[in-house]
Amino acid sequence: MSASTQSIGGQSAADRAILLSARGITKQFAGVEVLRDVDLDLYAGEIHALLGENGAGKSTFAKIVAGVHRPSRGVLLLNNARIEVLSPLAAQKLGITLIHQEPISFPDLSISENLALGRDDGKPLGRVRWAELKREANSLMAQLGIMIDVTRPMRGLSIADQQMVEIARALASESKLIIMDEPTAPLTPKEVETLFGISRQLRNEGRSIVFISHRLEEVRALCDRVTIFRDGNKIATEETKNLTDAEIIRLMIGREVKGYIPKHKTTVGEVALAVEGLTLPGRFENISFEIRKGEIVGLGGLVGAGRTDVARAIFGVAPAASGTIAVNGQVVEIREPADAVAQGLAFVPEDRAVAGIFRTLPVSQNITAAVPEMIAPKGFIRHGLERTIALDSVKKMMIRLVSPRQPIGELSGGNQQKAILARWLLTDPKILILDEPTRGVDIGVKAEFYEMIGALAASGRAILLISSELPELLALSDRVLVMSEGQLTGDFARGDATEESVMHAAVPRRKVVGDAQAAA
Amino acid sequence: MSVPTVSPRGVAETRRMLAGHMNELGLLAIIVILYGVFGALSPGFLSANNQVNILRDGATIGIAAWAQTLVIVAGEIDISVGPMVAFIAVIMAFLMKVPVPLPFALIGGVVLGLCLGSLAGVLRAIFSVPSFVATLGLWSALRGLALFMTNALPVTFDDNDTLDWIGDNVFGLPVSAVVMVILFGVFVFVSRKTAFGRSVYAVGGNANAAHLCGINVTRIRILVFAISGLMAAITAIMLLARLGSGNAGAASGLEFDVIAAVVVGGTSLSGGRGSMLGTLLGVLTITVIGDGLVLYGINSFVQDVVRGVIIVVAVLLNVAASRRSGRHV
Repeated sequence: MSASTQSIGGQSAADRAILLSARGITKQFAGVEVLRDVDLDLYAGEIHALLGENGAGKSTFAKIVAGVHRPSRGVLLLNNARIEVLSPLAAQKLGITLIHQEPISFPDLSISENLALGRDDGKPLGRVRWAELKREANSLMAQLGIMIDVTRPMRGLSIADQQMVEIARALASESKLIIMDEPTAPLTPKEVETLFGISRQLRNEGRSIVFISHRLEEVRALCDRVTIFRDGNKIATEETKNLTDAEIIRLMIGREVKGYIPKHKTTVGEVALAVEGLTLPGRFENISFEIRKGEIVGLGGLVGAGRTDVARAIFGVAPAASGTIAVNGQVVEIREPADAVAQGLAFVPEDRAVAGIFRTLPVSQNITAAVPEMIAPKGFIRHGLERTIALDSVKKMMIRLVSPRQPIGELSGGNQQKAILARWLLTDPKILILDEPTRGVDIGVKAEFYEMIGALAASGRAILLISSELPELLALSDRVLVMSEGQLTGDFARGDATEESVMHAAVPRRKVVGDAQAAA
Repeated sequence: MSVPTVSPRGVAETRRMLAGHMNELGLLAIIVILYGVFGALSPGFLSANNQVNILRDGATIGIAAWAQTLVIVAGEIDISVGPMVAFIAVIMAFLMKVPVPLPFALIGGVVLGLCLGSLAGVLRAIFSVPSFVATLGLWSALRGLALFMTNALPVTFDDNDTLDWIGDNVFGLPVSAVVMVILFGVFVFVSRKTAFGRSVYAVGGNANAAHLCGINVTRIRILVFAISGLMAAITAIMLLARLGSGNAGAASGLEFDVIAAVVVGGTSLSGGRGSMLGTLLGVLTITVIGDGLVLYGINSFVQDVVRGVIIVVAVLLNVAASRRSGRHV
């Protein structure tokens, strides 16, 4: 609590009071380790950045500290005393607040009520002092430089304003440790400046801030130290000024591209899909590219860059406001997924549970869901034929199951994903959009997917592959497009795409990148 | 482990089939027990005459329940059944009174049922009004309208031989029961053998995924409500024939019995799972309970209590059975 106005760089680590220590923090989800033996010390009165690719473990670590998840192994020490953070409320009581990536609020309660939530004065029947709440809320929002009526409901506020309310709530909690998970994503530059000003002020009061961001220039402007995560491991903790951007990026991605992914030889044919000037305000802007027959075009970028939105627009789930889509040189109107299916498109969505599987229905029905005419040649479903078709897919895709009557919800993630791919292959698609096809799939099954994707391209199909896993993206793609904040920021031929070049294009840097439009 | 293990039709398959029908088997057991208990308690329960009564009562619930099964499998609910039946019956009675020839009066009722059902469907599918609310509105408005139009008095009309025949028996069976059985066959066929039936399950199981598969989710949702309205109209015809007059207060609480029958039959209120066979057994269970309690002469208020308890117990057993067979509810 002694840092006050001194600069961090001037002190050696030994002098500084440690607020929170993590020792050997390990986390498994369904048997998969997403965080491995992480040791980390946070000083009192510092702003500490957590950096890493998507899925590197930084958000998981933050959530463990904030009581959202519990570690599978390892201990946390707060002021040298061991703590058990059983819930977000327990964290709050210990003085640890997490500001979520997507603001969690109660849309029908007013701003001041939202600010007061989670505060517990231990009197369940105590009276609410409305005037006092309002006064406090007003002063908090004023601190953040926001002029807003605090009696307004949260609903209807911009995401940025909602984010600011979340931040105000953290301020109000008088927490010693505030964790911000990508707080600046929805904010305007001016709001970011205000947030930074407040963050510095909090640091000078001796509080600690953990700042998770993909934006290197923000990390550089604000953070005293950075910790870099990769594949669930902590790679390094270093003072920010001792690292260059290039070094940080290398530490974030620094791993060998594995050679096990096979690359089929393909003959690239005519243009199968051409997208021109696709725009959906607030999601993506002026997206243009082409995919040829037999070509795998990778679409890289960070989560939230707008890649899935583009895929959904092409498939007619949430059509673009402007721009054209051409299939085999013919401009087509796609307003509904049914139109896309009719044009020979197929879409394996990113989130299986939400948009992929019919959990309660048998595997066989899941596989034949997109081809009713195939199982009902004369208008009426033939169950024997359906079973034959489903079993055929099961064999081809090596789906492991007990019976095709089994509800698909009982299968493992990888086998569910295979069934969804099988569903689309039955439609004999000419263009496949695969959104994170190997997410939540075991390593072994991943290799099977790589093999299948390669074979599909080799058979003359055009493939748009969205993936956040760089090695996968680079190994499979003939060409790699990169999106950042709704724009295409990179277009690399197979030879030119490296983890570094893709990452450089993916990391948002205001004004630096931005007009490097795709040439296609 | 890398070899696909697709077992042939064998032990696992048979066990799975049995497990999949645990619910139906359980209901069958419940019905047998109910027959045993009521048969022992009241001598008239097992008589042929009473079986005909059970069938006739069952038809009132059953015809609407087939459609409600589709509605609930699609992840929706239609609570407007009772008032819709009464309203349509009243309108048909007015038409008969004019007099409009019977076929036209009946067709008018059927068209009205289709329109009212579609209205609920459009409110749900296009204007995103939750189906509970949309049909709650219809429930209230239709009952009010029917009572207002008739001053709560029966609407009478001249005797009609054809209508009387519908209200009577054929080969010793009530015509309404025969209609119920025929419609049961139609609904089994529609739900199992047509692309539409498949789509209903798909939309109820996961509307997002169904949309991606090219299924017109809006159309399916409107259709299931239209079918529900159509079945309400058919029930109204049976009711009109049985009572011989249009009665605004008729079919009171029918929606309760219909939904109870579907749920007791194992159809999941969250959509995507259920079967016509289950609903058939559910209809039988509900009807047998009602009939047995009346014959035993229990106080009618206590009847409601007993019925409520039996319904919840039946669903509890059902849930326990599905847990045991490894499915999560």
